[in-house]
Amino acid sequence: MKPDQLPLAMRWPAQQRFDTFFAGDNGATLDLVQRAATDAAAPWVFVSGAAASGKTHLLIAACAAATAAGRRAQYLSLRNLSGGAPDSIRALGGSDLLALDDLDAITGRREAEHALFDLYNRGKAETHTFLFAASRAPAQLGIGLPDLVSRLSACAQAPLKPLDDAARSEVLRERAAARGIELDDAALAWLFARTQRDLGSLTALLDRLDRESLAAKRRVTIPFLRQVLGS
Amino acid sequence: MTDLWRRCLERLEAEFSVEDLHTWLAPLQATEDAEGLRVLAPNAYTLDVVRERFQPRIAAVLQHLNGAPVTLRFDVGTLNRPTANPRKPAHNGASARVGRGGNESDSFESNLDPNYTFDLFVEGKSNQLGKAAAMQVANNPGRAYNPLLLYGGTGLGKTHLMHAAGNLMRTLNPATKVMYLRSEQFVTEMIQALRTKSMDDFKRRFRAVDALLIDDIQFFAGKDTTQEEFFHTFNALVESKQQLIMTCDRYPKEVDNLEPRLKSRLGWGLSVAIEPPDFETRAAIVLAKAQAKGVELPIEVAQLMAKRMRSNVRDLEGALNTLVARANFLGSTINTEFALETLRDLLTVHAQAITISNIQKTVADYYQLRLSDFLSMNRSRSLARPRQLAMALAKELTEHSLPEIGRGFGGRDHTTVMHACRTIRDLRATDGKLRQDWEKLLRVLTE
Repeated sequence: MKPDQLPLAMRWPAQQRFDTFFAGDNGATLDLVQRAATDAAAPWVFVSGAAASGKTHLLIAACAAATAAGRRAQYLSLRNLSGGAPDSIRALGGSDLLALDDLDAITGRREAEHALFDLYNRGKAETHTFLFAASRAPAQLGIGLPDLVSRLSACAQAPLKPLDDAARSEVLRERAAARGIELDDAALAWLFARTQRDLGSLTALLDRLDRESLAAKRRVTIPFLRQVLGS
Repeated sequence: MTDLWRRCLERLEAEFSVEDLHTWLAPLQATEDAEGLRVLAPNAYTLDVVRERFQPRIAAVLQHLNGAPVTLRFDVGTLNRPTANPRKPAHNGASARVGRGGNESDSFESNLDPNYTFDLFVEGKSNQLGKAAAMQVANNPGRAYNPLLLYGGTGLGKTHLMHAAGNLMRTLNPATKVMYLRSEQFVTEMIQALRTKSMDDFKRRFRAVDALLIDDIQFFAGKDTTQEEFFHTFNALVESKQQLIMTCDRYPKEVDNLEPRLKSRLGWGLSVAIEPPDFETRAAIVLAKAQAKGVELPIEVAQLMAKRMRSNVRDLEGALNTLVARANFLGSTINTEFALETLRDLLTVHAQAITISNIQKTVADYYQLRLSDFLSMNRSRSLARPRQLAMALAKELTEHSLPEIGRGFGGRDHTTVMHACRTIRDLRATDGKLRQDWEKLLRVLTE
């Protein structure tokens, strides 16, 4: 199936692409993930970072880039595995690129760790590419199986540092501009002080503001923000 | 992609969340034939989820679009998959590689990794015995040492040696049938064989090889039926002088939930410990891996990495991958300064709190001793041995001098520390339990 033949919503979400990823200090991490997405010989990558630092964005962007390059890609959050996690993990594989998110969900669960260890070995033997993501580096995750820790540690380590407020403002301003919304410094400062400051929630909020300002035919000002957010 | 499937997806995209769509439906492929629509999933888990959660809707939508019910078949698989692999031959497990029935010798294709050879194995004090034994076995399969058991912690090169032996056997005699598999594959295939009532086939396949290499047999622990079957396979192979090479993460007698008679069999041939590599070997390994990647790595950088990362070779590999990727990205030359800067995060993890007092606390916890007793002058055996172990670890893991270490242990003399280091070194060679404690503590302290 060529990617452009996919129905729109079935394509990888358009907002989670490499070109919408604001790298900031994370350029090297972005580069590692980009290589893994399209080059079967590139090292596997372990992305680590706090919640809302952009891990899922990178993994899905990698799947989108891989699909565009004719590779088969699958994104899966270990948090969403249904049924017995070990059995589910054992049944994975088959894609050229397998992006496994939220490894934290199985740490300390011996059977599931063992299944992931086996999946890793199979992937190595069958020359798939793996991308892993978790809140911390492998050795700090609290994984009980040393064999799994050492294998995950052999991946290129790609830490994601959270953006600082200045970088976040810049991204938000850019994204607002892309939607035709003008956000001045006062409005930005107001938003940062009162809302969740991770980019995911801010961008979702921006989409909402976009719709509401369009409907109300108003500019996005502090009084308007106050009205929309009900404060 | 068929037009019918595309229209079906278009309809479904309005009904499910974006996450469901791109996790479960986007990876599916479909073809249409006379019998209906065949939907392929990349793996069994996706197939299960799709069947359970989406099949009724898929069927209903297809029927609506088609004006009549559409026969749906679900499978694991891929359409138009190029068979050539860009990097190395695929290892799809033993069953995919060894012909069924009696014609194995005609078309035997090995599933060894060609990248693991003796030439590419970096030898040092910690692994030279293992390498020598593996080479002897490869030169004289079934006769030299049978079985050969390589044991030691994770990431020390056991799998490399095992493949290297298999590869050398096939270089010396290309007709040699060598089968490599991880213990997990043995378990999975046996369960499959039991389910499909094809145990005879299963037995025949494993017994028809000249050499069977089984990795990580500690994972047989607690799996009684597998152990039973492996026990018979083991006997059959050894009796007819077919070579068996195995790896284990510890001395098999120390694996819990392994049947006593299997444990004793495992000790029949030669068991060799693979120790964590010493500093020089670690540095040599980093240099060899860099060379294999075509990267020029200054010796000081290799030494820096070897000095800071001690637990196993995979950590070094990860660090090297990270370093090379960053240098490529930034267009930088790799020198000590650049390496220190890049690896700061990784190194912090490894250098994290390796101090004398941290070692004391970790060792005291490990043996469930009170820290105050541990540092006292009490010389009872139950305290003295752990104390000596802690001193030896302090010598191994910190930059402190022997007098400094002595002072850190309640004002002891440096000759006491020296004696402790020597005692522990000797005991590691003769006392399996102590060696295991040493390795575990090393791992805890360095990971």
